[in-house]
Amino acid sequence: MATRPPNDTEDPALSLAMAVIMSSPTPLLLLDGELRVAGASLSFCETFGVDVATASGHHVFELGTGEWDVTQLRALLTAIAGGTAQIVAFEMELKRPDCETRCLIINARRLVYQDLGQPWLLVAVADVTDARASERAKNEIIDQLGVLLREVRHRVANSLQIVSAVLLQNARRTTSPETRDYLRDAHHRVMAVAQLERQLSESQTGDEGVELRAYFTNLCNNIAASLIGEEKAVTLVVTGGGLVTSRVSVSLGLIVTELVINALKHAFPNGGAGRIEIGYNSHGPNWTLSVRDDGIGLPDDPVMSRTGLGTGIVQALAKQLQATVETAPAVPGTVVRVEHVRVALVGENEDRNSSATLSEGPRSEPTHDEPGRSNANEHVARR
Amino acid sequence: MIVEDEVLVAMALRDELEAASYHVLDLTDRHEQAVAVAQESTPDLALVNIQLRGRDDGIELAKHLKALSIPVVLISGQVSRARSAQTVAIGSMPKPYSAVEMVEAVTYLLARIDGDESPPRPSGLEVFEAALGDHALS
Repeated sequence: MATRPPNDTEDPALSLAMAVIMSSPTPLLLLDGELRVAGASLSFCETFGVDVATASGHHVFELGTGEWDVTQLRALLTAIAGGTAQIVAFEMELKRPDCETRCLIINARRLVYQDLGQPWLLVAVADVTDARASERAKNEIIDQLGVLLREVRHRVANSLQIVSAVLLQNARRTTSPETRDYLRDAHHRVMAVAQLERQLSESQTGDEGVELRAYFTNLCNNIAASLIGEEKAVTLVVTGGGLVTSRVSVSLGLIVTELVINALKHAFPNGGAGRIEIGYNSHGPNWTLSVRDDGIGLPDDPVMSRTGLGTGIVQALAKQLQATVETAPAVPGTVVRVEHVRVALVGENEDRNSSATLSEGPRSEPTHDEPGRSNANEHVARR
Repeated sequence: MIVEDEVLVAMALRDELEAASYHVLDLTDRHEQAVAVAQESTPDLALVNIQLRGRDDGIELAKHLKALSIPVVLISGQVSRARSAQTVAIGSMPKPYSAVEMVEAVTYLLARIDGDESPPRPSGLEVFEAALGDHALS
């Protein structure tokens, strides 16, 4: 089928189409059903070194020195001309003599218009070589920054370990039991942050997510090693879990540290076996962190309730996380729930209302287990 | 024996080990120094940080100590690096570690070397069984 170059036609519509194509700033080709060039934009000719005067009428695969004669492109254009395919974004490398190889994105489609007897193909060519190079360079920089960030976190963790070592030494040397307790608590707080930094230093995803289950398990192992003596057979159990940002995780880690230390100090005054369960569950933007023990429970006199530094830290961190803290009796023991509710989800209000009395056994959350029971979804630290 | 580049961390660990009735040799933080102490005193166990003073490498030191038949526990913030040395060390402990947990690790490993499997293994401790078997009493 012969091509009708724009200057040879007296069809005003086709002439207008050719003029539009010629002046397109995006490299464009108009091909006939035989894949011959009917029109090429000046931008195409300039970008790919094609002689604008001789392009028209030639087979597209004859352009230049034949660099467009790529098997896959030929097959795809033929299929489009036949109406059996449409290229959305075909990526190819254009190799021209004495020129740098370019990376191109080809978009081609068969034009739909009134003259069904003459198929036309509009081919748009985007040179993404520089964009791809920029993206590679950007990714390399991101990778390098990730390595540096992990190294910084690694060093922060080491520095925090030095601080915690000093606190532990001071605790060992002091003669006051009360001061020793304070120093050991401070040691655990520093270690909680240090362990998070270490976990982040090993993470390939950076700040995108801290796996709470692993983090809480490490915290509990550390606390169990130093606070659970031979005379106390208390088991620490971590249930649930999820991914949160490092900023949130450091607060949650400190809250868990405080609540577990608090439970170990106060819930089991007579020694013996006990269990502390740390649970984290989330639903969309909402989450609940709970620390439940099966110890002696809350004191009868509210004045005797705990109001020390640890309680203040938990309240402050919860406020920072826009969460509420609720301490309630469990059967047996005590449960502290730190709850963040951003959006009221359908059906959740009913659940919350049903557990408003808070005390009659475990909540109905599927990942929380009854005290004293163990399952495969738990991580346990014990002495 | 403790070979650790952070002296305050090493001191806290030494205090905790001594409180648990272990005898700890003079603290060292470099390869040559550590080898000299090890040759003189032949410790039952060496706790070696992977990163030492003066860019000395704890894994190289572990190879040297292994040649002296001294079992080594590597301490590192980079777990993968410690694992790469499991032919020369009997275990590794990740940093940051609790000094108390490290004492438990020492107790556990010394018991294993003596053929006693009863002490519980601290959760943070990774044991390299093949290398431990080389040191264990039959």
